[in-house]
Amino acid sequence: MIPFAFYLFAILITGLFLVTVMSKNVLYAMTSLAAGMVLISGLFFILGADFLGVVQLIVYVGAVMAVYAFAMMFFDVTRDVEERHDKPWLVFLLGGGIAVTLVVIFAAPIMGETVHALYPPVAGATNPQAVGLVLFTKYLLPFEVASVMLLVAMIAGIILAGKKMEISLSAMDEDMIADTKEHA
Amino acid sequence: MMEVTYLGIIIKAILILAIISAIAGFGTYIERKVLAFMQRRLGPMHVGPYGLLQIAADGIKLFTKEDFIPQNANKLMFMVAPVITAATAFIALSAVPVFPDFTIFGIFVPSIAADVNIGILFVLGMMAAGLYGPLLAGMSQANKWGIIGAARTAAQFISYEVVTGLSLLAPIMMVGSLSLIDFNHYNETHPWMVFMQPVAFVLFLIAGFAETNRTPFDLLENEAEIIAGYATEYSGMRWGMFFIGEYANMITVSVLASIIFLGGYTDLWFIPGWLAIILKIAFMFFLMLWVRASWPHVRPDQFMWLAWKVLMPLAVINVVITGIVIMV
Amino acid sequence: MSLEHFKNRNVGTQNYRMLDLDPTPVTGWGQFKQVVRRSLSLELLVGLKVTLREMLKALLFGKMHTTKYPFEKLPIGPRYRAIHEMKRLLESGHYRCIGCGLCEKICPADAIRMDTHYGENQRKEVSEYTINFGRCIFCGYCAEVCPELAIVHGGRYETASEQRASFSLFEDMLTPIDQLKSQREFPGYGSVSVNADTNIKKTPLAY
Ligand code: SF4
Ligand code: SF4
Repeated sequence: MIPFAFYLFAILITGLFLVTVMSKNVLYAMTSLAAGMVLISGLFFILGADFLGVVQLIVYVGAVMAVYAFAMMFFDVTRDVEERHDKPWLVFLLGGGIAVTLVVIFAAPIMGETVHALYPPVAGATNPQAVGLVLFTKYLLPFEVASVMLLVAMIAGIILAGKKMEISLSAMDEDMIADTKEHA
Repeated sequence: MMEVTYLGIIIKAILILAIISAIAGFGTYIERKVLAFMQRRLGPMHVGPYGLLQIAADGIKLFTKEDFIPQNANKLMFMVAPVITAATAFIALSAVPVFPDFTIFGIFVPSIAADVNIGILFVLGMMAAGLYGPLLAGMSQANKWGIIGAARTAAQFISYEVVTGLSLLAPIMMVGSLSLIDFNHYNETHPWMVFMQPVAFVLFLIAGFAETNRTPFDLLENEAEIIAGYATEYSGMRWGMFFIGEYANMITVSVLASIIFLGGYTDLWFIPGWLAIILKIAFMFFLMLWVRASWPHVRPDQFMWLAWKVLMPLAVINVVITGIVIMV
Repeated sequence: MSLEHFKNRNVGTQNYRMLDLDPTPVTGWGQFKQVVRRSLSLELLVGLKVTLREMLKALLFGKMHTTKYPFEKLPIGPRYRAIHEMKRLLESGHYRCIGCGLCEKICPADAIRMDTHYGENQRKEVSEYTINFGRCIFCGYCAEVCPELAIVHGGRYETASEQRASFSLFEDMLTPIDQLKSQREFPGYGSVSVNADTNIKKTPLAY
């Protein structure tokens, strides 16, 4: 059952991401990317990593893709995107090279014989607990650094977006708008 | 006693699908009746006794209506979007336990279709994925009202997911598990969560209203401002699927609130557990209709203001205080 | 009601209740305080209370406002200008119209078309009389101008039909001869409705 499910998911995910890359239509690309993300969470469920699966669902499908979608609203999604390829072979070479490198990087330890889990799951801990144990012992420092980084990014975002927030263009008349443009 | 088999799960899934669809249909009737009574009207009266068959009449109408697809729309996405809404709503329900486990024909039946041990997160995640229904519907239909509706969908769901998650975090910390069944067991030995976490309850209710797209937060399809928002171009059964999805989501939120905050399906004095939870769910459902009859819409900017400047800080403070109390 | 009662035109103002609304806060702190105060005083629940009260009133005390329209109908005012009626003379039962053509002439929408001929007793008789309800604007001029009170507006406001002709022929508008006894006289423009006494209210304006 499980290999079957894995291959089904794998084929579907690859197909969906292919659509994402190949499609000329923004809407198709976006939807297939989101659907692929959902199916990736399916892979996590197969592995028994329920928590990570749901996190994948919430973070990628619920948040990241929604923000993408928000950006897509600026386009006319009913029209196809014209893409210009000056050097298609270069794109192919670089993209393919990256893909092969990634596969080698991730496949090598699996092929190797001497690999063993450094932090085997603690017996009796449920899924989220296991994640928490690793996260707050071995990876505490990276975790905290990441959170500080996110905080910095958040503050920077607020400052960027909040600049001149108190000025309302709709409340000004033409001259005042021209004035602010000159000063800026 | 036999264990549940794959067949059992499939049967259960079909049962949930059928029952929830039926309840969703019945919910429309209840909604119309309750709203009518609150405005001192009679509501549907003519089809069947007390208008009960109005559901069937509406169903026939929806099924036989022309399925209209606008010329410039992205046809595939336009057709898929309502299915996403309905599907995610039902998938979310699959991880929610509604009744105590029971035994039928000598077969032990746990009342939950898929007992993932991170039940709450799964439901939240699925409801988050439900955002794609309105979003794709609005973006694919080549209609400015649809686009505005879709934009509001994205903003609303992203903002209020944060609030739902943070508000549920405090109860999760107290229970120490993400499984809804554990929540129910917790309620057996402790007073109801709503008395220990009143702030979280209120926050969850508000965010739940927003996530199910109910008044006062139904900005996605606020007819006064944007016609019907993402559903502007929809007709017939495709529109009906949005509707069923919305009602299924309402039921999910009602069940979640009942299980997490209102004691779930534990026996209440003399009331058996299964009846108690039905009463609780019914009350939560009624509350949604009651609020719809009473309160006006909020403006979109007020809505965002509410999420980020009021609810989220409150939720964070609540989590911090809960943490301190647990630690001390 | 006595005359004295009517003389006092300052109706309503005595019952006005001033809300002690605070001025809109301008500072952030003021807004914050307002939000907190309003949330803690549970102002929102008042709305819930009102709707619940109405619902209980409706369900328990039968205070529903619904008129089940096709089965129950509210009386319409005598001034209402619906589909026309042609009246008959009460004594002879002959139609009242003398064929003067005033209504045809005055009709601003040119909706009335009529034709007359001399009958056997040298009386002008209506040979054809139709109102095109596709054009009629229900202004009521025809009824006002009619010297014989022959054409009046009736109370038939349900005008959906498969053909406009169902209303517009002379015979259709004419009181059926067997219902002559129950033919009601048009009370005339400016007449008050039957239940006017119960409906009367003082104008809530001081002037
Ligand atoms: S109501 Fe006015 S428009 Fe209609 S037939 Fe009479 S005069 Fe003409
Ligand atoms: S004004 Fe009266 S009497 Fe004269 S033609 Fe018209 S309906 Fe007949």
